[in-house]
Amino acid sequence: MKYTATQYAKTLYEITNGRSEQETKEDVSGFLRLLVKNGDMKLKDAIMKRFGEIYDAKNGIIEAEVISREKLDEAAADRLIGFIKNKYGAKEVVIKNRIDEEIKGGIIIKVGDELMDGSVARQLAKLRNELIA
Amino acid sequence: MNKDYIIEQLKSQIAGFEAETKTEKVGTVMEIGDGVARISGLTDVMASEMLEFPNGEFGVALNLEEERVGAMVLGGYDDIKEGDQVKSTGKILSVPVSDNFIGRVINPLGLPIDGKGDIKADEFYPIEKIAPGVITRKSVHQPVQTGIKAIDAMIPVGRGQRELIIGDRQTGKTAIAVDTILNQKGQDMICIYVAIGQKESKVARIVGELTERGAMEYTTVVVAGASDPAALSYIAPYAGCALGEYFMDKGKDVLIVYDDLSRHAWAYRQISLILRRPPGREAYPGDVFYVHSRLLERSAKLNEKFGGGSITALPIIETQAGDVSAYIPTNVISITDGQIYLEADLFYKGIRPALNVGISVSRVGSSAQIKAMKKVAGKLRLDIAQFRELEAFAQFGSDLDDATKQKIERGKRTVEILKQGQYEPMAVENQVAILYAVTNGFTDDVEVSKVRDWEKDFHKYLKSSKKDVLELIAAKKELSDDVVAALEGAIKEFKEVYQSEK
Repeated sequence: MKYTATQYAKTLYEITNGRSEQETKEDVSGFLRLLVKNGDMKLKDAIMKRFGEIYDAKNGIIEAEVISREKLDEAAADRLIGFIKNKYGAKEVVIKNRIDEEIKGGIIIKVGDELMDGSVARQLAKLRNELIA
Repeated sequence: MNKDYIIEQLKSQIAGFEAETKTEKVGTVMEIGDGVARISGLTDVMASEMLEFPNGEFGVALNLEEERVGAMVLGGYDDIKEGDQVKSTGKILSVPVSDNFIGRVINPLGLPIDGKGDIKADEFYPIEKIAPGVITRKSVHQPVQTGIKAIDAMIPVGRGQRELIIGDRQTGKTAIAVDTILNQKGQDMICIYVAIGQKESKVARIVGELTERGAMEYTTVVVAGASDPAALSYIAPYAGCALGEYFMDKGKDVLIVYDDLSRHAWAYRQISLILRRPPGREAYPGDVFYVHSRLLERSAKLNEKFGGGSITALPIIETQAGDVSAYIPTNVISITDGQIYLEADLFYKGIRPALNVGISVSRVGSSAQIKAMKKVAGKLRLDIAQFRELEAFAQFGSDLDDATKQKIERGKRTVEILKQGQYEPMAVENQVAILYAVTNGFTDDVEVSKVRDWEKDFHKYLKSSKKDVLELIAAKKELSDDVVAALEGAIKEFKEVYQSEK
């Protein structure tokens, strides 16, 4: 029987949940031995990624990518965190700020698969389409 | 229009422009190649939902897997790269529909490709739709006049029927379909010609012919050319059918030609294999039967309660070396309500259209023939069948009794009469007249090689001197005694004139 990366990640989360640091160490080495035994070491990157996602989801942590033209200042970042917390009902929001000159202004917020595009570039494109039609 | 008005308009449009932002679902391209993209992310995407790629092309989600989505790209995929962001649109793949499409040449997405400007359309129809149910249908009862004597007489097609045209390459399959479209002039029929994976030169020739003969006034041509991506070839017949359904819902009669479904199956095979769906017989995927059955099932005759519209389908299948027992031909034969077989041997013998009358059938059409045609056709079929039997038999011996000889001679003339040139569709009253003449022995004294000239002159004579007889047949639609008397009178008169001219 083959297991998917998601299944491994879920299992890892379940066995390590609520355990002390020492216990976790043992759990992880046991988990690694299982991976080797099943010949699934090639999945390690995917498992790590999925584990991160599962852990964040269970603990109400949201990672948001914010794309802006210039680096966000403290106040703006705080307001954004408040907004995202509200929208997704999260306990904690981690913001990753990426700078992109192409968007011309405004911001783009990306949380998981969801995207809120408030960039000037997109609005200009939309206006263009509206005027052509 | 003055400049202030335009500026005013611009201002109001910009003022009315709302820069709202809403949450969109996005995914990332993981792999792209051969017109198929694998995309991660895109949670909650629907099957056959439209996706938007950053280069402005659309895609369709086909495979919804645990970790990713397999999608075909409807257009160029050269500038899509790994890591590109794909947006879901929340819409099932649909095409614009409107009356303005009549007379136009479009691609399967409804965009004009004839250089005559934009097509205004307010409505969208999904390209995949469940076929009309039993309650909404009515049995086929009106004829589609193809204008081809052999077909209208012996393999009649009714409105709402699906009649397959099958044969090897270069046997005149498209010619039959195009002639049928040409003959719909003034018959209150809207025609849709769907070219699937055809050479653009062939499509251009057909469009040129349709335009020249005034058939584009009621025809739309949907083109997925040989150089277009397989995804477009795959959706072309569904898009054509969606447009047909728009007209059917308005109570109109529609004729759709799918030219041809073998190429459609190839396109679908390509997409399926690249999506890594398991191959089955002849490497076609397991659902290739359903691909065609759900398309052809959308042809229907609706009853009055639902507007009384109809879609008649003429799918075309190209066989390889006459092999009708290959996978796709047998599938489509079993789906359709009959088939018109064209044979290369007959074609080279000079029998054109190269119909094999023996194995061509129409499973519902005879109830859609007019009475007059039914009457002459019954005799015609019998004549031909007897001729075929005796012809083989007569090759062995020269001593034949008179009755047999006479049957063979009659048969030879019948075969001659059923020959018909391309782009020469014939009105049903003319067909009845000539078939009546041949089945009742009026051509027995004409030399076999002269029969076609005789026929030509006969139609000319009817047109110039005996219009009333043709009108009588067209009006009465049956061979009652007075019609028979008038027709026989006309034929006899013509023979006298013809004789004296010689």
